[in-house]
Amino acid sequence: MIPLNWVVGLGAALFAIGAVGVMVRKNPLIMFMAAEMMWNAAALVFVAYARSFHAMSGQVMAFIIIGTAAAEVGIGLAIIVSVFHHRHRLDIDEVSQLRG
Amino acid sequence: MSFALWPEYSVVLGVFATMFAIMLPKGRGIAAYWVTLATLAAAFMATWTDWTSGRLPILLYAHGVSIDAFSLVINGLVILAAAGALLIGWNDRRYGADFPVLVLLALLGMMVLGLANNFLVLFVGIELLSLPLYIMAASRGTHQSGEAGLKYLLLGAFSSGILLFGLALLYGASGTLTFTQLAPAHMVLPLAGAGLALTVVGLVFKLGIVPFHMWIPDVYEGSPLPVTTYMAFGTKVGAAAILMRFLFFGFALATGWWGPALGYLAVLTMVVGNLLALAQKDMKRLLAYSGIANAGYLLVGIASHNMVGARALLFYLLVYGLAVLAVFAIIAFVAGDRESIQLDDLKGLAARSPWLAAFLAIAMLSLAGIPLTGGFVGKFYLIQAALQASQPGLAIGLVVGAMVGLAAYIRPLQRAFQKADGDAGPASAVRWPVAGAVVLVVAVVGTIGLGVYPSPIVHIVNHSAAFYWLH
Repeated sequence: MIPLNWVVGLGAALFAIGAVGVMVRKNPLIMFMAAEMMWNAAALVFVAYARSFHAMSGQVMAFIIIGTAAAEVGIGLAIIVSVFHHRHRLDIDEVSQLRG
Repeated sequence: MSFALWPEYSVVLGVFATMFAIMLPKGRGIAAYWVTLATLAAAFMATWTDWTSGRLPILLYAHGVSIDAFSLVINGLVILAAAGALLIGWNDRRYGADFPVLVLLALLGMMVLGLANNFLVLFVGIELLSLPLYIMAASRGTHQSGEAGLKYLLLGAFSSGILLFGLALLYGASGTLTFTQLAPAHMVLPLAGAGLALTVVGLVFKLGIVPFHMWIPDVYEGSPLPVTTYMAFGTKVGAAAILMRFLFFGFALATGWWGPALGYLAVLTMVVGNLLALAQKDMKRLLAYSGIANAGYLLVGIASHNMVGARALLFYLLVYGLAVLAVFAIIAFVAGDRESIQLDDLKGLAARSPWLAAFLAIAMLSLAGIPLTGGFVGKFYLIQAALQASQPGLAIGLVVGAMVGLAAYIRPLQRAFQKADGDAGPASAVRWPVAGAVVLVVAVVGTIGLGVYPSPIVHIVNHSAAFYWLH
């Protein structure tokens, strides 16, 4: 059996990669994907702890996270595609008509 | 199925009814708005019935949901926010046919945030609030609106990720998902600290506290006007409610872990938000920075972690919301077909529409915290809470922030009471759409009313905060 700390460590690594990805990458699609990776890292940690506690609650949480992530992807891709239709190019630095 | 959840059930039923109303072949559009308004009225009635039933608090679903005086006051606030946004965008085809449905869905998320008592409900509430708002932000279909939706989506997904990972670590440290069973004294310490820090960062991201505020001005400026109104009022209520409930229920016995940190953030937010508001030329951006500063005031109520703070936060949410509704209604009137106005567009407003200029003055002075308006009473209670918690630094920060804010709010007023430029400028009076006028009059009367006779509302929020504390 894989030790709990390894799984949580993997989750933390995935979370860090996702967070760095959102902050460093310029393409909204990749940024969105990186954000989803942070969600999945959290789901993994929930499942790992639920298994070590022999409790179901964390597993339910993981299912809710997966379901919500699916809804978010549906909405997110629609918004990204509609922005792409306006510009025919995807770069977050070019999507900056609003002074930010 | 519990009767205490009827406010939420009625919104769910209202979502379906509104969808069918949109599909009606004849009278497209307007019917959906009336159905939505009826749903809001029904949800408010159900909330009122719960309030007077005398059976509170009610804990449901293994303590996952807690219906108490606090959640019912939050219900009332977010119903007000939804009604304001709906009426400001009343039957406006620019925002798409789905606008009323999305307003109701986001309302459901805010209501869920008010009664959440475990991580599952917290997360579902946050997402139910955010997902419709992403669509609404992008619903206009213009460059700016799409950009606002995209930024909101990316930052929202990012902050939800931080929040989720924090919750996962807290689950690992405590072994439970329920706030009231967290027992910080028995937690594995480094894990609990990291989890709490990440969770709080995720939540203050949604509230718009200073180091995490950069998305707010862009999203507010690009989103359609009624949506911005909804974000400025409703999401702040939801985020403040869940932050307070999470910290007060879960970590009431370890206030040293989060109290000082939130205090520093509050002072930073109040000062920086108001300073940045000084430099703005666009009204929506000015209100975005004002919203950031006001989130700082709200954080004072949480950081002082006592009952007076909880009461002051609830009272201030109402005061702030009324002022925001009034200002946005006026922006909508002056803007007409446009989505926002510059400060200079307000020039000569007093000559064109004296009443509108007077109402703008009342709302702006309430945001600044001048006596005889609700804003003054709200800030007074917040300062009282900070002093009672023996944190004079918070009170000083609040006063300094409010002084800077006064300068920021005076600028649009100065424009409004200036003479219009000689060359152009329509001298005709500004048109008042009926629905928007209802919002404006209610908001202005409420602002003045809370300033001169706050006791009925104070009684309600006292009751709410007390119940909350004794849980």
